[in-house]
Parts: sequence; C-alpha cells; structure tokens
Amino acid sequence: MTRNLRYEVFYPHPVEKVWRVLTDSEAMASWLMPNDFAPRVGHRFQFRTKPAPGFDGIVNCEVLELDAPRRVAYSWRGGGIDTVVSFTITPKDGGTALVLEHRGFRGARPLFVSLILGAGWKKIIRINIPNVIAKGINE
Amino acid sequence: MPTLSADAHVYAAIADTTRRGILDLLAERPRSVNELVAAFDVTQPAISRHLGVLRSVGLVQVRTEGRQRIYEFDPEPLSEVVDWLSAYDRFWRKRLRALGEYLERT
Repeated sequence: MTRNLRYEVFYPHPVEKVWRVLTDSEAMASWLMPNDFAPRVGHRFQFRTKPAPGFDGIVNCEVLELDAPRRVAYSWRGGGIDTVVSFTITPKDGGTALVLEHRGFRGARPLFVSLILGAGWKKIIRINIPNVIAKGINE
Repeated sequence: MPTLSADAHVYAAIADTTRRGILDLLAERPRSVNELVAAFDVTQPAISRHLGVLRSVGLVQVRTEGRQRIYEFDPEPLSEVVDWLSAYDRFWRKRLRALGEYLERT
C-alpha cells in the first residue's frame, strides 16, 4: 500500500507568477527550503535544512517532469523515504489553482512493510493508521 | 522539514541493519537468543548487545521460559516513527501558506 498527500490551493495571482515561484531556486528557498534546483529534467539537486532525529537534513531530488507553466515534479528522497512531489497549476477565476501531490509513502521505511505483516503491528495499526488514513489518500 | 517527537534513541536503535533484522524476526513470533544467533552471521555476544539496545528503547521485551530467555517485539515506541505522513502533512500545510505569503509580498 502506498499513501499520498494531496492539496488543492487557490492563489489570487497569475499562473506565470506562481510558476516562477515554483521553479526559481531563490524563491523556493524562501517558501520551501534552501536548494540548488534548476528547471531542467534530469537535474539532480538537494534541499538542505536542519537535521532532526532520523533525518540528516538533506533531501535528494531529481527533476522528473517539467512542463512550463503547468507542471513540475521531482523525486524526494531523505529521512528514509523515497517519494515524488509534484506541483500542477491551472488558471482559475483570474488566479491560479495549485495541486500539490506527495506520493509514494510506504509506511515509514522499508522495515515497516515487513513489520506490518507481524502480529505485533496490530497495536500500531489500531492507534496510528486510522489517524494517517484520515489525513492521506489511499491507493 | 518535519521533525518527529519520537525519542532519538529509537531511531538509532532501528538504524542498524542487524537490529532491524532481529525486529523483523521477532515480529513474526517471539524467539530465544539461540534462534536469533542461528539466523544471523554474528556471534551470540553481538546478538545480546543488539538485544540490549532494543530492550533499552522498549522495542523488545524479555521473559524467562524454563532455562530460556524469550524475546518479544513491542511496536509501541515506533508509533511516532511510523507517522511520516502526518509529519509531512503539517510540513506541506505550512509551506503552502508560506508560498501564498511569498506571492503576496513579491
């Protein structure tokens, strides 16, 4: 089972402006995290932030899709997850509708796939998974 | 980036490949040290050390059965660790708000 996050947001700004903010390294540093992104499919880059327990503060990414000014997607690997983040924008009511998807969560780490099969996991499923399902989208 | 409130020691405990392997086996069913030693290419003292680490963070419980000590998996300390999805949920909500604020001021 993979689980995804999906958000739809409206910004009262033209698509071109939103696109610039989504794909300009300096702008991304301001609203997302410091990075060395470049708008080129195949470009490998990193987001860097403060380390936390279980996470060295580095997200390794590669630009997977770039369709200006409509959609950008990159891989998102760090802290034990291997996922994909995509931003899709469309003009709407004089502004911009943005859909953000973060796809491919498989539990927390590969470890948990096997743990889920274990009887001991029942407790976590009971406590935690309903909470996760309420927030995520199942596939 | 999301930060999780789980004890850092729990992360350290599960960062080790052998310890993850031990947890996988114990998640199937409780086992003795001898069974675990047989499953891995390491010495009994090494397995005992790993079990000590796992016990210290509460991922493994031990009980005595006759002359044997039986080790059991306890998933409770992982309940925070597993919750990456809700950590990222909080992260993206904040970042999308920051994006909107950035658009407003530029």
